[in-house]
Amino acid sequence: MTEAGIARWAQRNRWIWSALAVLILWIVLSVVTSRFSLGSLSGILLSASFLAIVGLGQMFVVTTGRGNIDLSIPSVLTLNAYLALLTVRGHDGRLALGVAVALGVGLVVGLINAGLVVKLRIPAIIATLASGYVLATATLLANGMIPGFAVSPLLKAIVGARVEGLPVMALIAAACVGLAALVLRFTGYGQMLIAVGQNREAARLAGIPAGRVIGIAFLISSVMASLTGLLLGAYVGGAFLEMGQPYLLQSIAAVVVGGTLIFGGSATALGTFVASVLLILIVTTMQIMGLPPGAQDMVQGVVVILVLALAGREGGAGRRRVATAGAG
Amino acid sequence: MTDIRFAGHAPGHLEAVGAIVAADGDAVVRLSRITKAFGATLANAEIDLEVRPGDVIGLVGGNGAGKSTLMRILCGALPPTLGTIAFAGEAVHFADYGTAEAQRRGIRMVHQEFSLCTNLTVAENFFLEEPQGARIGRRWRERYRARARAALEAVFPEPGIDVDAQVGHLTIGERQMVEIARAVATPGVRLIVLDEPTSSLGQERSRQLRAFMHERRAEGLSFIFISHKLHEVIDIATEVVVLRNGRLAWTGAVREASIGRLVELMGGDAGVIHHHGAAKVAGGGEVVVRVGGAFAEGLERPIEIRRGEIIGLAGLEGCGQKDLLQAVFAGGRGGDVMRLGEASFIAGDRRKEGVFPLGTVLFNIGIGRIARQGMLRLVSAGREAAAAVPHAEALQLDTGRFGSNILELSGGNQQKALVARALATGTPVILLDDPTRGVDIATKQDFYRLCDAAAQEGHTLIWHSTEDAELLAADRVLVFADGRIVRELAGPEITEEAMVAASFAHIGERREEDSAGAGGLRRLGEGTVRAAPLLGLALVFAIMVWANPLVASVFGLDLLLIPALPLVLVAMAQMYIIGGSEIDLGVGAFAGLTSVLAATLLYAHPPLGLLAILAVILAYSGLGWLIQARRIPAIVVTLGASFIWSGIGYSIQPTPGGASPAWLSAAVNWQILGLPTSVLMILIVAMLAYGVNQAPIGVALRGFGNNAGAMVNSGWSATRIALLRYLVAGIFAALAGLALTAINTASDINSGNSYTLLSVAAAVMGGCTLLGGIISPFGAVAGAVTLSLIGALLGLLGVSSDFTVAAQGLVLIGLLAVRALTIQKGAEE
Repeated sequence: MTEAGIARWAQRNRWIWSALAVLILWIVLSVVTSRFSLGSLSGILLSASFLAIVGLGQMFVVTTGRGNIDLSIPSVLTLNAYLALLTVRGHDGRLALGVAVALGVGLVVGLINAGLVVKLRIPAIIATLASGYVLATATLLANGMIPGFAVSPLLKAIVGARVEGLPVMALIAAACVGLAALVLRFTGYGQMLIAVGQNREAARLAGIPAGRVIGIAFLISSVMASLTGLLLGAYVGGAFLEMGQPYLLQSIAAVVVGGTLIFGGSATALGTFVASVLLILIVTTMQIMGLPPGAQDMVQGVVVILVLALAGREGGAGRRRVATAGAG
Repeated sequence: MTDIRFAGHAPGHLEAVGAIVAADGDAVVRLSRITKAFGATLANAEIDLEVRPGDVIGLVGGNGAGKSTLMRILCGALPPTLGTIAFAGEAVHFADYGTAEAQRRGIRMVHQEFSLCTNLTVAENFFLEEPQGARIGRRWRERYRARARAALEAVFPEPGIDVDAQVGHLTIGERQMVEIARAVATPGVRLIVLDEPTSSLGQERSRQLRAFMHERRAEGLSFIFISHKLHEVIDIATEVVVLRNGRLAWTGAVREASIGRLVELMGGDAGVIHHHGAAKVAGGGEVVVRVGGAFAEGLERPIEIRRGEIIGLAGLEGCGQKDLLQAVFAGGRGGDVMRLGEASFIAGDRRKEGVFPLGTVLFNIGIGRIARQGMLRLVSAGREAAAAVPHAEALQLDTGRFGSNILELSGGNQQKALVARALATGTPVILLDDPTRGVDIATKQDFYRLCDAAAQEGHTLIWHSTEDAELLAADRVLVFADGRIVRELAGPEITEEAMVAASFAHIGERREEDSAGAGGLRRLGEGTVRAAPLLGLALVFAIMVWANPLVASVFGLDLLLIPALPLVLVAMAQMYIIGGSEIDLGVGAFAGLTSVLAATLLYAHPPLGLLAILAVILAYSGLGWLIQARRIPAIVVTLGASFIWSGIGYSIQPTPGGASPAWLSAAVNWQILGLPTSVLMILIVAMLAYGVNQAPIGVALRGFGNNAGAMVNSGWSATRIALLRYLVAGIFAALAGLALTAINTASDINSGNSYTLLSVAAAVMGGCTLLGGIISPFGAVAGAVTLSLIGALLGLLGVSSDFTVAAQGLVLIGLLAVRALTIQKGAEE
């Protein structure tokens, strides 16, 4: 492949940058610390799987364009962890009810978000910020009602299980990634979503039901966050109020670092997954190295900005090139 | 090399050099041997162009002939690969030649894509054209108002445009008038490049423009006039330059040119007008569209449009033609327009309404079919390509370029892709919104043929055009004036004269009614929206006073409102960021950091503390620079930065503590005349933010939020403005940190975190929008105060504090919902 060919390929497969970063970081860690093994990578993969599922939902919302972001994800996630405690009460027999409630809550919240954004034309960041506030209060109320921290043993076993050393959660996440990639590339919905994200007015005039397309993205996001709340609750064996908080920043970071355009119209499910691994890897590394919390935060911030500055230059240069070529 | 030439030209050398100097000294600007390569393609190849004072150069050529590239090079927006530029004989290096330098040398370009900031007034837009004017003194507004008024009147007598009107409220034609007037009014202007200036102007305005050019030409002002309307070029130009495939095809005096000759030189057919074989039985096909209601108000009966007809929509720009197309596309839910069968839309404004800029050509064609097949349908690239090929071939669009990005195609070819998109859907009704805008003659010919064929096959075409001649071959033409159909022309009645006569016959009848009725209503709606945050605040406050009258006392007010001060300040910071269409997710953490710095370093070592605070403010504004220079999304960068800010703060002060410097505490503990200190301070903050907003720097910041590309073309530096924007925001956020320390008399790095999202909520509640650079300091202040009062309100009403965030969320949704409904209602009126 020529240099230009590689550049073009990397331009289209933006997940490669995160993958390279993961690889480099892992090699460095393996060399520097003897404690770092394949086993610890499996643990990272497990944590990254939760982030990846949430991140996929976020990716659909981001792809609708105009800077749309779902800020209600942490609240949806936390609320569902509590609701699972309320509904399942530690009995496998009631697990189906728990799943149904999680799905239902996800759909309802998604519908409300979609309504605010599409019907009332409230900017997504603001609408989901507001609905997140309301859900946070619902979580506080749920917190006062839970009978105890008993989760479904079956679900806990599934979430924590490994096949050949590979966490089952990672397989679930991989399946979600594959499905999301297929939807984006090979379905009418995926193609319409990409079109809407690039130019909403043109999409409308091309006959695309833009409102419905955008609304469905919010449904997907809320349902993904709901199910993750259920799974994560089972994994940690309960729920706590700050449970969803890290996922606000990390879900956005996973999407953008993975190569999905924050401006919408171009998404990569694989990139979201790889970037999730990268982010968790960075956090875990710092914990292993025993960095003080303040320094850990700083490193995390610097890394996100640095990755973006490098990737941004690539994408930006490409877009400028296209723009000037089109002007001739 | 010089030696060889010297030797070769020895005999006539001195005279030759002298002649060149004389010729150069005459020229306003001279481009020599300009070559520009994009990869393997030469957009410009060895082009020479000389403009003398008083020249009107008609620059013509097909799409992709290289006109835009050449003009971008001339205006400093694009450096050439090879070639030189000289002003009055003085050579300038392209390395030092940018848009700002071009402006300084008196070159102004009126772009085909509009370059006004729609959130600013006409007068403010005049100011933007003069970046160096940012230094000017107190009465700058009045000066630009006067200049705008004079310039509009000079070019377009009786312009009918209020210079204090927001540009967003003007019609496309009026915006084009402002744009042209702005270019000619700039002091020191010597050469004006007009790129398709008449494509959005009516015939009368177009005539006025040409008359103005004729007049100013005599005074030595030069013009380059780019147009596909060749009769206009011949009418006004003194010289004509023809480009073809990036090369100079011909240049000469206008008297040697004729339309036929120019078309031949550009490489098109001479027979411009298409002929629709209107041989079908009139009234034979079944009715597919019926237009009644307000559109047909002046007619005796509704208009019925049948299968296989081509219906032209004529009239002056912005008289309802587009509204009709949109109403037909929407499909008659409103009742005014009824449509049977599906419709597809071909937009002339490709950038805004046509192309998907990141997609391939095939994606751009196929999406129309995909849209009609449902969301669950599987899509295969092979099937899409097979469906697109016949239409692309009929349009002579190279199928080998299906995999290219759509923007790599010339404007004409992009338009062909859009036409292919519509045809591939196979809908019975096709709506065309000025589809040949900025398209070359050869493409037009292909396009006309195809339209005729589509009509023969039984499609119905409803076609809006700004070029009346295009509609001569329509079966019927509906002439619009003031939002309704005033005349229906059919068959032999269809002439350019008849269209012009009908569109002018009714002008002015409803103009005044318009401005008084719709304009007044719109203003009323906007006023309500602007007042909503203040009304919301008043309501919350009234309930609190009702619950506990002590709230209204000076003591009560200070008790409630002093804690609101940090949020008010953070909201101001966020407001400036939002004005740049960005969101800062780290602003709360930044306020927390400055609070920590104030309670530790500033308390213990005042000079060092001050230095540290200044340093973090500079780092914060550097963030703005980084975001702009690397073109990376602000929301994620500031998110990352929030970790840095709190990381630093946490390292300095792991647990809450510290102390507030005495002078800082004193700054929030004063009182004059028994007035509530909190209210005064909040008002001071609001006035300060308002002052910045109205100052030249504030106008520039808002301009960038609205139309950054145009600002850069006018000579502004995007990175410098980004730096300034974050500097202003950083100062407000740092003040918030100081206020936090002063009020709490201690600091906690986490104390600012909740302000990040609340500040976004406050700014948006206050009327700032994420798109378009609209910001409103007083509204944002009201929003911030309302949000911080909600906790206290619930406490007074005996509601658990668990509900505080829910109440904040519901208030936000409620306010926005009311605003959304009012605006939508306003738009319908």
